[in-house]
Amino acid sequence: MKVQISVHPRFHLKPLVVILLALMGIAFITAMVRYANGIGTISDLSNSYPWGFWISFDLFTGVAISSGAFLMAAVVYIFELKEFRPLVRPSVLTGFLGYMLVVIALLVDLGHPERIWYMMIHWNHTSVLLEIGICVMSYLAVLVIEFAPVVFEGLKLQKFAHFIHRFIMPFVILGVVLSTLHQSSLGSLLLIQSAKLHPLWWTPILPILFFVSAITIGLSMIIFESTLSARYFHRGLEIHLLEKLAKAIPIVLVTYLVIKFSQLTIAGDLKYLFTSGLMSVLFWAEILIGAVTPIVLFSTKRVRQSANGLLFGAVILLLGMILNRFNVSWFAVQHPDPLSYMPAFMSNVHYFPSLPEALVSIGIFSAGILAFGLAVKYLPVFEHEKEGHGATS
Amino acid sequence: MPSTISRRDFLKVGGAAIGAVALGKFIPPLVAEAARTNGMLDATNSGYIPSMCEMCVWRCGLLAKVEEGRVVKLEGNPDHPHSNGKLCPRGQSGLMNTYDPDRVLTPLIRVGKRGEGLFRKASWEEALDLVAQNMLDIKQKYGPEAMIFSSTHNLSQVQFENLLNAFGSPNYGTQRSLCFNAMIVANLTTYGMEEPERKYDDLNYIILTGRNLMEAISTSETSALSQAIDRGAKVVTLDPRFTKTAAKSSEWLAIRPGTDLAFHLALINVMITEGLYNRQYVNSHTSGFDRLAGAIAHYTPEWAASITEIPADTIQRIAREFSGAAPYALAHNGWRTSNFVNSFQTERAIAILNALAGNWGVALFPASGEESGVLGAPPQPPYPRVSAQRLDGVPWKYPLVPLKIGVFQELREAAISGTPYQAHGWFIARQNPAMSLPDRGRTLEAFGKMDFIATIDILMNDTSWFSDVVLPEASYLERYDPLNIVGDKAFLRQPVIEPQGEGKSALWIYKELGTRLGLSDFFQYADEEDYLKQQLAPLGVSLDQVRQKGYVELPGEGPDFSEPTWNTPSSKIELYSTMLEQGGFAAVPQWEEPPAPQPNQFYLLTGKVAQSTQFGTQNNQLLHKYSDEPRLWMNVKTAKSLGLVDNDMVEATSTAGKIHIKLEATQAIRPDCVYLTPGYGHLSKGLTTAYGIGASDSDLHVTYTDPISGGQALSQTFVTVKKI
Amino acid sequence: MKKIAHNSFLFDATRCIDCRACMVACSVENQIPMNKTRIWVAGVGLKGEYPSLVRASMVYHCMHCNEPDCLSACPVGAYSKRLDGPVVYDPKKCIGCRYCMNACPFGVPHFDWDKGLIEGAFIDKCSLCTQRIDIGLEPACVATCPTEALMFGERADLLKYAHDRLAAQPARYINHVYGETENGGTSYLILSHVPFKELGLPELPSRPVKEVSEEVMGLTIPFALGWGAVLTGLAAGVHLYNQKKNANAQKLETSEAPTEETK
Ligand SMILES: Nc1nc2c(c(=O)[nH]1)N[C@H]1C(S)=C(S)[C@@H](COP(=O)(O)OP(=O)(O)OC[C@H]3O[C@@H](n4cnc5c(=O)[nH]c(N)nc54)[C@H](O)[C@@H]3O)O[C@H]1N2
Ligand SMILES: Nc1nc2c(c(=O)[nH]1)N[C@H]1C(S)=C(S)[C@@H](COP(=O)(O)OP(=O)(O)OC[C@H]3O[C@@H](n4cnc5c(=O)[nH]c(N)nc54)[C@H](O)[C@@H]3O)O[C@H]1N2
Ligand code: SF4
Ligand code: SF4
Ligand code: SF4
Ligand code: SF4
Ligand code: SF4
Ligand SMILES: [Mo]
Repeated sequence: MKVQISVHPRFHLKPLVVILLALMGIAFITAMVRYANGIGTISDLSNSYPWGFWISFDLFTGVAISSGAFLMAAVVYIFELKEFRPLVRPSVLTGFLGYMLVVIALLVDLGHPERIWYMMIHWNHTSVLLEIGICVMSYLAVLVIEFAPVVFEGLKLQKFAHFIHRFIMPFVILGVVLSTLHQSSLGSLLLIQSAKLHPLWWTPILPILFFVSAITIGLSMIIFESTLSARYFHRGLEIHLLEKLAKAIPIVLVTYLVIKFSQLTIAGDLKYLFTSGLMSVLFWAEILIGAVTPIVLFSTKRVRQSANGLLFGAVILLLGMILNRFNVSWFAVQHPDPLSYMPAFMSNVHYFPSLPEALVSIGIFSAGILAFGLAVKYLPVFEHEKEGHGATS
Repeated sequence: MPSTISRRDFLKVGGAAIGAVALGKFIPPLVAEAARTNGMLDATNSGYIPSMCEMCVWRCGLLAKVEEGRVVKLEGNPDHPHSNGKLCPRGQSGLMNTYDPDRVLTPLIRVGKRGEGLFRKASWEEALDLVAQNMLDIKQKYGPEAMIFSSTHNLSQVQFENLLNAFGSPNYGTQRSLCFNAMIVANLTTYGMEEPERKYDDLNYIILTGRNLMEAISTSETSALSQAIDRGAKVVTLDPRFTKTAAKSSEWLAIRPGTDLAFHLALINVMITEGLYNRQYVNSHTSGFDRLAGAIAHYTPEWAASITEIPADTIQRIAREFSGAAPYALAHNGWRTSNFVNSFQTERAIAILNALAGNWGVALFPASGEESGVLGAPPQPPYPRVSAQRLDGVPWKYPLVPLKIGVFQELREAAISGTPYQAHGWFIARQNPAMSLPDRGRTLEAFGKMDFIATIDILMNDTSWFSDVVLPEASYLERYDPLNIVGDKAFLRQPVIEPQGEGKSALWIYKELGTRLGLSDFFQYADEEDYLKQQLAPLGVSLDQVRQKGYVELPGEGPDFSEPTWNTPSSKIELYSTMLEQGGFAAVPQWEEPPAPQPNQFYLLTGKVAQSTQFGTQNNQLLHKYSDEPRLWMNVKTAKSLGLVDNDMVEATSTAGKIHIKLEATQAIRPDCVYLTPGYGHLSKGLTTAYGIGASDSDLHVTYTDPISGGQALSQTFVTVKKI
Repeated sequence: MKKIAHNSFLFDATRCIDCRACMVACSVENQIPMNKTRIWVAGVGLKGEYPSLVRASMVYHCMHCNEPDCLSACPVGAYSKRLDGPVVYDPKKCIGCRYCMNACPFGVPHFDWDKGLIEGAFIDKCSLCTQRIDIGLEPACVATCPTEALMFGERADLLKYAHDRLAAQPARYINHVYGETENGGTSYLILSHVPFKELGLPELPSRPVKEVSEEVMGLTIPFALGWGAVLTGLAAGVHLYNQKKNANAQKLETSEAPTEETK
């Protein structure tokens, strides 16, 4: 079988690469400053805000938007909906890169990055973070395995690709299990903040809400990246596939809304819907942008059948759901009351991400884009149609 | 977390501090060796050594935890009645006073202009020779009286006084007129003793007239008051500010500043007119009751109400409650009673109030004398006769002020005016007149008149900054001092670590200087230990024994509380003071209206905070860490009416000067007052932690002296405040 | 030296004069850097309007929860709860994730924001002065408190003492001992004259905040196994179904095109 490089990416566009590299460089230098002088020297994090933008963006958002990988793997392998095969490789690649970036970001955010492996040896079984850590690391390994055939193909090592593919099923199942666990556990991570997280968000079923919303995010991400890469890599757009995905989204979102509002009703927290000032506004923003609008959009045939419509719908959903992740992990978390504290250096109760903080995330994100571009350029990511197999196909 | 300036400062000083701590490791093992032989330290030079705090004049007993020759923690000594096992924040921070990276550790000789802060290190030989030479020159040219000696109360003060008396100067300045002259002279004229001791054990009712015991802490007395409150004792606090003491009191009366006298006169009036006073006690122990009764007849609560702004019925109720609780009632005589020119009469009224309550033997007791005859002392020849007048007007202008108390601010005035004669030299020990005297501009002016200024301190304080020679004393954890008698025990200050740098005890410095001044006969002790041995000689205990326990019990039954001796002309408590009469002053307290601010002006109040002592601890990093930023308090409503909000930068102006300071808009102060924490706005850049923080109220304070007690009136300064 | 079974503090806000001796003592005893502290003042400070005023502040440090959330949250088990009360932190295990800071409902653990990799950035919090209590001394903060606003001893004794005080002086106090039940009970018990919220204390149920999280965590392994089994079954089922369907299809239409799934 001969490999035909049908992709002629416009990606070699020098300026973009240069900009991405520059952003990465800046992030690298910033990270070095952080390693030398401490997290406080480059971020606005404080004892009142131990977690900030990095966690909300790199961890919570990063993991959520990588959920396409397990969804597509499940759809194609477990449900054997083979027609979706073309979407698998890019999703797995996005997932792999997404998780890599999460880990890199954590290496900046952790006080002792050199000890990250302690999670493997010192187990505190009550810690949600431990579960997430282990799941993320294991899932990363699964993704490596899932993506390996693509790499082997790129290297013309078909034999290896075949070999891996033969044993792919257990890994797919493991990947789905791990993903289900940590996608939902990101929600569980906040369970311990029952006294700090606003009741509009805190609920024991946070993990379920996280999982359900992660599905919508994953689906939207596939739509998002497919439409975009079609545009930038001049590929054909599998619009009929995306339409099917888009059709599924309202169903999941309605489920999500039903769960969310039933929970608020049962918990007796409906009273906060309109009475919590900024919190109410944030809540409605995420519901309207992340759920209601996408339901309307994706229920509309015209939207589903146009590339622009799909992209628009996906972007709206992503914005709303990312807002949800920010709300839960940051905006709606109320740290100890800003009463009068003494000594004064105790009282930094306001947090706004500093520029270097954002630069680190931007740099890491740039690395992701660059890596995606390079992978697409040098590996048969969009090669499934011609290829008879491969990790992911 | 953005790295703010203060944060970086912390780090910087923090780093420096480590250096200083490390220094302690290189100490020669003398102190440790001695402590080891006494079993206080183990083979690794670790253990506890008893000594005494000197972070303020209360001098609590402490136990210094020493590790490998470094002091690492201070604990309150349970055996000392001033600490009872506790130390206040300043006491706890004491090791940072010793390990302050800004310590002056060698003698310094000025090389730049005065106030420029340029010094060179010098040997003790050179520095002492230079000081002695200058003092002798001045003595020769202008007479010994041209040398001013000033020092704030401390344990080696006997030898300071010895030095000045031997030198032959009458000009002795102490902190006292800035602090408690009104109270001391009032007690002297009423009871014939400086200050009675108070006990809270049985008290049910306490009136605190501006005694902020919960912030101006004296550990044992603060504890005692707290315990009394806990027991259910009622406490009435008079203070224009809602202090932390007011917060713990049953009743806070935001009295108009300067009118406490009217309040107390009205209390006396009610007690007498309603017959609530202790008739029996008054008859047997006091004199002049009738004249008192006659004189206060018109000081009714209604009269006082309009003056004090406290309702008449409140005053009446308090008078009744107070006498109802008597003798388990106390009208506290305050401590820093340097508020108004009428503060002396306020203090007299308080002394009288206690006599009327007959609370001696319940609340009040004769104080154990500091100069008890039971201790030995080095022999010495008689002092030269001093013929010159004192510059501070004692006694020729202030007949009732004891010599050793003096009128410091008037001394400073005379140094400027040159009348009755010009002073030329100033020798200062453990004192910071550049900050503590009112009207800092004038203090600097007085410095300018001096040919020579020498200072003994542990830090480059603001006065040292303007001195020609700075002599470094070993800190209180590094030196011996003469014994201190408290109750029936004499307590020892002993070094717990070896002095850092070349710090020396004051005992050593005075002796060395005395010798160079040709006064060695007056300093007949070989060294500090020898001095203590001579003190202990009559008791027949060895210094080693005292070192181990930290104190020695004094022989005798202890003070006899049953019948105090009233050392007054009538040998009774003088409700009508014959001494005052002779001095030409009001012999029973009578109302004097103190000056009040113009409508656009505010009373400027001063007052201690628990995290600093006077003007010498703001550089202590541990205290700095837990101190509030010093801002100018102003009532929220007043601030609003002036268009000011919290943290505005404002300019406060008095006739003496102006300062720039951040505003603290607070509910906790009368609308006609502003308040500033003293001790900030340092001039010395040698105080790297404290320099640049806040502003000094001494820049604003106007010099007013109470003609009777010689006390300075610190609340009698009025300021205008505007936004800048 | 009397052995204490459950080392605890009792703080009485009505007695505290906000002098901060306890804080200085803690900093010295535990050699805390000048820009850090394990113990601080919290609360509204001053409340009311001139001249009806009340001061409301408290001395804040680790509550030494009976059910420590920090301990529950820490992925690597850097915290431990001693049987006699103290919740202690072991820097040797810490990876610096700061999840404990999020987990602690009292905002107690602090982090070395100013430390790089070489110095090492760690968590710090009140240790209950184990180095002192183990040799029979009171914690440094308690030992120096001039007003005995801080007391130390056996939790049961302190609770009894606190309730006795509430009974004896009902007008003086809010009728509650904070920490008796909050968050499952704490070793720092607090009496106050103002609502506890005004001292900066969170309103917490007696159920420790970590409980829901721990229950959910308890479900993890069963869920993972179950979900794995379901997925495997599902995959197998779908596969069989498809095979059958394909076979049927092949029977019907005589093999038109090779299907993809022939390998
Ligand atoms: N922490 C700490 N403790 C100390 C000291 C220290 O520096 N720091 N210094 C020690 C020394 S030397 C002294 S003298 C004592 C001083 O002890 P105190 O005399 O208790 O203390 P101050 O704070 O000087 O003054 C007390 C109060 O007087 C109020 N006041 C001002 N004017 C008036 C007035 O006209 N009437 C009334 N009723 N009140 C007025 C002020 O608002 C202030 O709150 O503290 C000793 N203890
Ligand atoms: N504005 C304003 N002025 C005031 C007051 C106020 O409240 N406000 N209070 C008044 C009162 S009550 C008083 S008592 C006076 C106090 O006035 P001062 O006695 O002049 O002031 P202190 O700050 O006590 O000065 C003590 C000095 O001793 C130094 N020192 C500390 N330890 C040692 C040691 O071991 N050896 C030596 N040699 N030096 C040491 C310190 O560094 C400091 O410079 O101020 C009065 N003036
Ligand atoms: S009251 Fe405080 S500063 Fe003064 S001697 Fe006692 S412990 Fe030291
Ligand atoms: S107060 Fe916070 S840090 Fe302390 S034991 Fe409880 S949860 Fe842990
Ligand atoms: S910061 Fe350290 S102690 Fe806190 S949860 Fe993370 S690993 Fe555990
Ligand atoms: S118990 Fe020890 S560590 Fe905890 S606050 Fe008190 S002094 Fe600090
Ligand atoms: S030492 Fe005691 S009175 Fe002072 S702040 Fe601490 S708890 Fe309050
Ligand atoms: Mo004083």
